[in-house]
Amino acid sequence: MTLPNYFLADLPPEAHLTPAMLTDACLALKRNRTQYLAVRDTPSILRTLVRTGEDWLCEDYPYRKMALAEGPAHTGFSAQTIATGLDNFFRQLTGENLEALLAQELGPSHRLDAFCAGNSDSRTRRTALGTGPEMIGHITAGCVPNAAFMAIILGLLTRSAQFIKCSRGGTFLPRLFLHSLYGSEPKLAACIEMASWRGGTNELDQALFAQCDGITATGSDEAVEAIRRAVPPRVRFAGYGHQVSFGYISREAYSGWRAKKIVAAAAADVIAWDQLGCLSPHVFYVEDNSLGFALQFADQLAQELAHRETAAPRGAISTEAAGHIAARRAIYEVRAAHAPEQTRHWCSPDSTAWTVVYEADPRFALSCLNRFIYVKPVLDVGEALRGADTVRDHTSTVGLAAQEHELEGLAKQFARWGATRLCPLGQMQNPPLTWRHDGRLLLGELVRWTDWEQ
Amino acid sequence: MTKSSSFAAYSRRLLAFIERDSVAWEADFAALARELFALQCAHVAPYRPLCEARRITPDSLADWRQIPAVPAAAFKELEFTSLDPAERTTVFHSSGTTAHRPSRHFHCAESLAVYEASLLPWFARHVVGRVNPAARSGDSVPTAARWGQTRPAFLCLSPSPAQAPHSSLVHMFDCVSRQFGAADSCFLAGLDADNAWALDVPGVLARLRQAADSGQPVVLLGTAFMFVHLLDELEQRPLSFKLPPGSLVMETGGYKGRSRELPKAELHALLRTCLGLPPEAIVCEYGMSELSSQAYDQLAGARCQVTSDKSPSFASTDSRAFHFPHWCRALVISPESGLEVGEGETGLLRLFDLANVRSVLAIQTEDLAVRCGDGFMLLGRARQAEARGCSLLAA
Repeated sequence: MTLPNYFLADLPPEAHLTPAMLTDACLALKRNRTQYLAVRDTPSILRTLVRTGEDWLCEDYPYRKMALAEGPAHTGFSAQTIATGLDNFFRQLTGENLEALLAQELGPSHRLDAFCAGNSDSRTRRTALGTGPEMIGHITAGCVPNAAFMAIILGLLTRSAQFIKCSRGGTFLPRLFLHSLYGSEPKLAACIEMASWRGGTNELDQALFAQCDGITATGSDEAVEAIRRAVPPRVRFAGYGHQVSFGYISREAYSGWRAKKIVAAAAADVIAWDQLGCLSPHVFYVEDNSLGFALQFADQLAQELAHRETAAPRGAISTEAAGHIAARRAIYEVRAAHAPEQTRHWCSPDSTAWTVVYEADPRFALSCLNRFIYVKPVLDVGEALRGADTVRDHTSTVGLAAQEHELEGLAKQFARWGATRLCPLGQMQNPPLTWRHDGRLLLGELVRWTDWEQ
Repeated sequence: MTKSSSFAAYSRRLLAFIERDSVAWEADFAALARELFALQCAHVAPYRPLCEARRITPDSLADWRQIPAVPAAAFKELEFTSLDPAERTTVFHSSGTTAHRPSRHFHCAESLAVYEASLLPWFARHVVGRVNPAARSGDSVPTAARWGQTRPAFLCLSPSPAQAPHSSLVHMFDCVSRQFGAADSCFLAGLDADNAWALDVPGVLARLRQAADSGQPVVLLGTAFMFVHLLDELEQRPLSFKLPPGSLVMETGGYKGRSRELPKAELHALLRTCLGLPPEAIVCEYGMSELSSQAYDQLAGARCQVTSDKSPSFASTDSRAFHFPHWCRALVISPESGLEVGEGETGLLRLFDLANVRSVLAIQTEDLAVRCGDGFMLLGRARQAEARGCSLLAA
């Protein structure tokens, strides 16, 4: 299957993008938006999205087949990793979930179509209508496609023309999604454009920003800040910097009958998108009062990762990334040999496919990712939070495995501490459609309200 | 036999090996490596547990390539030395920011003598232009082929040994200046308030001007970042020199955030332009504080070193392969399999330095290199150049 040249991202890699090309593309998108998208109502957009999502879950859907066949070469993920990632995302794309998203963000789900009153508005005889930006630019980072998928969905809900700038090497799956939308409704897809260029290419960035009235950006704090500074003041901006996540396993949960399931869930979180997403764990904190729970957990996690490697192998990585893992392993090997009670490590044989490091030091450790996970014993949640203090302002998700009666207490402590998402272990890289990215509104960041007082 | 006398006996055999020409030395290298491994396994306290964990002991060792390599970064955490604290006279630290713990390589007078015996002949061969790599003492040094009877001044773009007593590079500069340089050889940098190296700009410019005027060749020795500082100063003024024939630059890589980084080919092109040097007058050195031997990428004055047909294509100065002397062997190791890579393939550099007597001979670096005949081409430090995900990455 060959993709037709519908988008700038379809051009061969040697094609040279110019600011004028971007400007022309944006003007065409805006014209198409006026003609095809601005006139659509929310239910019809939802129907298209739901149908496309259902298509992606069918094994013989051509775009899915292409994603699995060619994705490993383009993205560095194995076909199994891509399949799981796509399934997890598109299973969320249901009418019910989309309506829940609209309700969460806007109140009544048709508030982008007509003036209507929310719960509080009815007491003040006021109605309100939300209007999306005419044109949104999305700057996405990395090769995990969820951010780009979600950006496209949100932009369609707000009836905005969209330009998605993907990271280099991060285009393939979002591009397939765009082609699938084109397959469902060419006119909708004619309001969306996608391309990739090196970050910080000012003249291209500026050409794009000049045409947009809303910009979303994901990436490193520095990259997001650089974009924020480059965006004209009139433009709405929503930036999402780099985040980290970790897991927490209570003693009671792990000592109970669910121990095996907890290990499997932890492994699923490490494996999802090869740990490269900001919702993937760097560390699992395990409650341990010198009973060796954490060590046991680390050992079982290593066995589980070894087992999973056959069914869902990690993708091929660069020699540089492998060198990074090898160098990190070498240090832990020395530490383990020197002080085995403090450090242990388990490594995939003859490859860098997975690594588990047990470290008694509770300080949070940034993993080098690609399935390299730390397990750290802590006395209680307080010790874990003190250990993770260095990433307090950068923590997104905490995956929890605890007994029912412990959960609320733990959840409150993590929330007060600053985590913006708590979820069951095993679901870390699989947030619901309504997930408030970095604890913030999704559509609310983009929509302009018109209040009508009567 | 005491610990010291055992190491002394080994060192004597090593010095004899260094002095020999590199004919049929594989068996001798293996024997020396085995002997040194046994000594280090017995006397370097943190090394033994690593060997035991790998189940490789002197008795079980089949091939020197199996000798457990210590990651260079581990020198920051543990004291990989057979020297008791009272025996240590010198310690070399890795360079880097003061915020990080440095690597420590401890020496005593005897181990420093071996260090110097290792560095001088290979430097002599590559920079001084001596054919016989064996000469090491001042008396036995024949007149340098390149410079005739007049020794050039060695201009070291670094602080002096008194200011930087823990820099192995400064020690090396001092050692080669005393051995091969003119009496007015000097150090042309100091330390700033943060203890970072600061170029003595008026001093360097005066010496460059003097060389250009007098026609007396000079040898400039420095790190890449100090040369960038020098080039920035020259550009600012703007100023350039035509150094006399026979002048050389010995550049040793690494920036560590101390200046803007330039691709090697660009750095060398600027050096040639601003100092009026031919391409063959620039020699690159590769060394580290955890080692006692150095590699060079060409013989000064030679047009080109042999490179592999299978090597990836790089700009000319990037494609020169580094070579260690015959008492230090470099293997390029696949980070995935842990085995030596094939010709032209990339991996991590692992070094077996027989001159690392009182620490450990096998060092695992984090440097990526391409295997290239019996040498290697350096690609740089293994780090995630571009984050593939949206998660924070370890630095």
